[in-house]
Amino acid sequence: MLLTPLNWSSLGNLLKFVLPLLVLMAAGFLISCTVKEGAVSLEEQAQALDKTLICPVCPGETIDQSQAELARQMRAIVREMLAQGRSAEEIKQFFVKRYGEGVLASPPKRGFNLVAWATPVGGLALGLLLLALVLGRMTRGRKAASDEEPDEVALRPYLAMVDAELEKEGIGTRKEGSSSEGE
Amino acid sequence: MADLGTMALIIAALLCCYAIAGSVLGARAGLPRLIDSARRAVYLNALVLAVATASLVSAFLAKDFSIQYVAEHSNRAMEPVYVWVAFYAGNEGSILFIALALSCLSALAVWKAPKEATILMPYASAIMMVVLFFFITVMLFLANPFATLAQAPPDGRGINPLLAHPGMFFHPPSLMTGLVAVTIPFAVVTGALLAGQTRDQWVDMGRTWGLIAWAILGVGNLLGSWWAYTILGWGGYWGWDPVENAGFMPWLALTAFVHSVMVQKRRGIFRLWNVVLVSAAFFLASFGMFINRGGPVPSVHSFGASTVGWVFLAFLAVAAFSSIAVIAWRYNKISSAQPLDSPLSREAAFLLNNLLLLAIALVTMWGVVFPLISELARGVTVTVARPFYDQINGPIFLALIFLMGVGPLLPWRSASPSDLRRSLLLPSLLALGVVALLALMGVSNWYALASFGLCVLVVSCVVREWVRGTLARSKQGHNLVASFVHLLGSNRPRYGGYIVHLAVVLLALGVTGSSFYSVQKDVVLAQGQREGVGKYEIEYVSSRVEHKPDREEWTANLMVYRGDRPLGAIQAGRTFYPEFRMSSTRAGIRSTPVEDLYVIPSEFLDDGRASFRILVNPLVMWIWVAGPVLIVGALVALWPDKGGVALSGRRRPEAAPAVGSAYSHEL
Repeated sequence: MLLTPLNWSSLGNLLKFVLPLLVLMAAGFLISCTVKEGAVSLEEQAQALDKTLICPVCPGETIDQSQAELARQMRAIVREMLAQGRSAEEIKQFFVKRYGEGVLASPPKRGFNLVAWATPVGGLALGLLLLALVLGRMTRGRKAASDEEPDEVALRPYLAMVDAELEKEGIGTRKEGSSSEGE
Repeated sequence: MADLGTMALIIAALLCCYAIAGSVLGARAGLPRLIDSARRAVYLNALVLAVATASLVSAFLAKDFSIQYVAEHSNRAMEPVYVWVAFYAGNEGSILFIALALSCLSALAVWKAPKEATILMPYASAIMMVVLFFFITVMLFLANPFATLAQAPPDGRGINPLLAHPGMFFHPPSLMTGLVAVTIPFAVVTGALLAGQTRDQWVDMGRTWGLIAWAILGVGNLLGSWWAYTILGWGGYWGWDPVENAGFMPWLALTAFVHSVMVQKRRGIFRLWNVVLVSAAFFLASFGMFINRGGPVPSVHSFGASTVGWVFLAFLAVAAFSSIAVIAWRYNKISSAQPLDSPLSREAAFLLNNLLLLAIALVTMWGVVFPLISELARGVTVTVARPFYDQINGPIFLALIFLMGVGPLLPWRSASPSDLRRSLLLPSLLALGVVALLALMGVSNWYALASFGLCVLVVSCVVREWVRGTLARSKQGHNLVASFVHLLGSNRPRYGGYIVHLAVVLLALGVTGSSFYSVQKDVVLAQGQREGVGKYEIEYVSSRVEHKPDREEWTANLMVYRGDRPLGAIQAGRTFYPEFRMSSTRAGIRSTPVEDLYVIPSEFLDDGRASFRILVNPLVMWIWVAGPVLIVGALVALWPDKGGVALSGRRRPEAAPAVGSAYSHEL
């Protein structure tokens, strides 16, 4: 069923609204990937790093959140290494070597861990594609049937008159609520 | 007391069996009296579980430490008011609470069932009772709150200190009630399928109960955030940890459901989709209870610690399997009345909204299970926490807010692009203007700019609709206020929905402000010393220690200045519980609509100094304001029409668009 030809003209209308949405989301995602550490001062960089490192002895808490002694020590190490001019990546690697990959609050975007990141993005893209196909299919049946019904476009002048009438009576216009319901 | 409680549980289990057998047999064989009698068993069950609850409460009040649960979760020093919290502090008690909540909700649902649901109700109530039976048997065989100790200890262990907080009076009950309340719409929909009522007979009742569960769960999540913010002492309110996610995922699925069920109500389409959505919400809610009951440690690996968790998982698997089987069995009968007119219509917008909401839920689920996958695939433990969710879910949330602005402008059936452009023009210009203004004021983060801009878009679209509607009505001669109230009353699901949208905007504002513009400083202060944070100056004035039987309470008194002008005093505390080797913090918060000044004492040092974490969190107050707004919106959307039309229900012609529906207004 999904393979039947699509109704591209009605999909075109939809795409005009879905495309900006996609662009927006893609932009948001790219920005979130690139502009991660725009922090300025060392302390701000340190705080940003604290939020990406998990305290190994307190499950689920970052060293920023945790008040355990180990977290305190790790915070001090972060500051010390930053002061020595080490990069954020180097500091993360330092902790990964000591405590394993689980110390990172999110899996690094390489190797097997790419699966963690790619699955949701791919899944969402697939979902949107599927939605477009379903909408195309559902509306295709409609166009064939709509021959029996007068076209909304042809009716527009009359509907406008109804609108004006309603407006005069102060009941509201068609476009609110139960518009074009044929009630 | 213990015997009375256990007896009540056994009676409740038997009543469940009777209600299940009675209603199914009665419906199959057409015996209305048997169905009636089964219905009364449902009512009686709520009463019996109330007796069980009362006997546990009185055991707590009488400090009867011969009952293991009482000994583990209270002690002599505990103030009586905390019995309410101690009651659900552990597995056993919380399952009793869940069972009580489910029995009351079931009784209410059965009692208030609309006439058009008469045929499906016996099956629906049987499903509710099956779920209730599960909880009761878990208590009887695995986690009996009335289990006794051979010898009563002289004193109990006391309550978990993190729970001794006002937020805990409401957060766990509303979260648990919300999770278990999803059973009702699920039972109504599945009951309808079983009864062969595959059209729209269940829609009003399913929607009502879907909204009720949605509102309770939403408030439960918000209260949890509030509790975390004031007591966990890290300045945040949401950490994306598995337990939080467990309450959030079913809420997302319910949000999708309460939107798309409106399409079925109005147009008689998306029937199969709604069945799938409400089932998904139920599974996610069961999954949530599984995670919460697995153990107190918020880690995916702690499930094995408690057998109860695995029983929940087995229950979930059975429920999922049977419900998929029911859907497959009735698949051919669940057809929609009519096709979709246009991809540019409110129906289509709702589908996109459903897709995005489910995407967030699934991403969240993926984040919860990926560490297990990594462990199985490569034997390496990884963590999936906040940075992951922020980066993946953040953009989807923005897209949802965008849709929240545009969606309501789309009429049912088909929108003309030119109309849409016209109605979007002013809101978009306003949004762009605000973005430009913010950019000039120095807001440079693209994310924050997009979020604020979209919030303005949503608010101006809602306000535009309200103003237009109100003005049209006021021309009839009513004054503006009366016209506005009339407008809200004319289409409650719609205008209640708008109010909820405003609540979501408030949430978005608070989350955006505090995520991108919070300032944090860790300082050590001697008494009398001052430290500047943002535009504030904080002075550590004095401290006080109180030794209580079960705890040591340290309180720091601080003074807040702006320049030299004192703004007021705040108190922040830290309490140490030797029995639990645990300490809890109580943040000192000075809240204004613009920002919160938030102080937590991290440590009181021996030399009289103390270390503090000081944060300035912009806009956080609006997150808490969103709660009541959300409730108001949900109530408006739920409120039955005059004479309870929404509940008593009217039959609509099947295929015709909702002519004469309780909610079609104006004409």
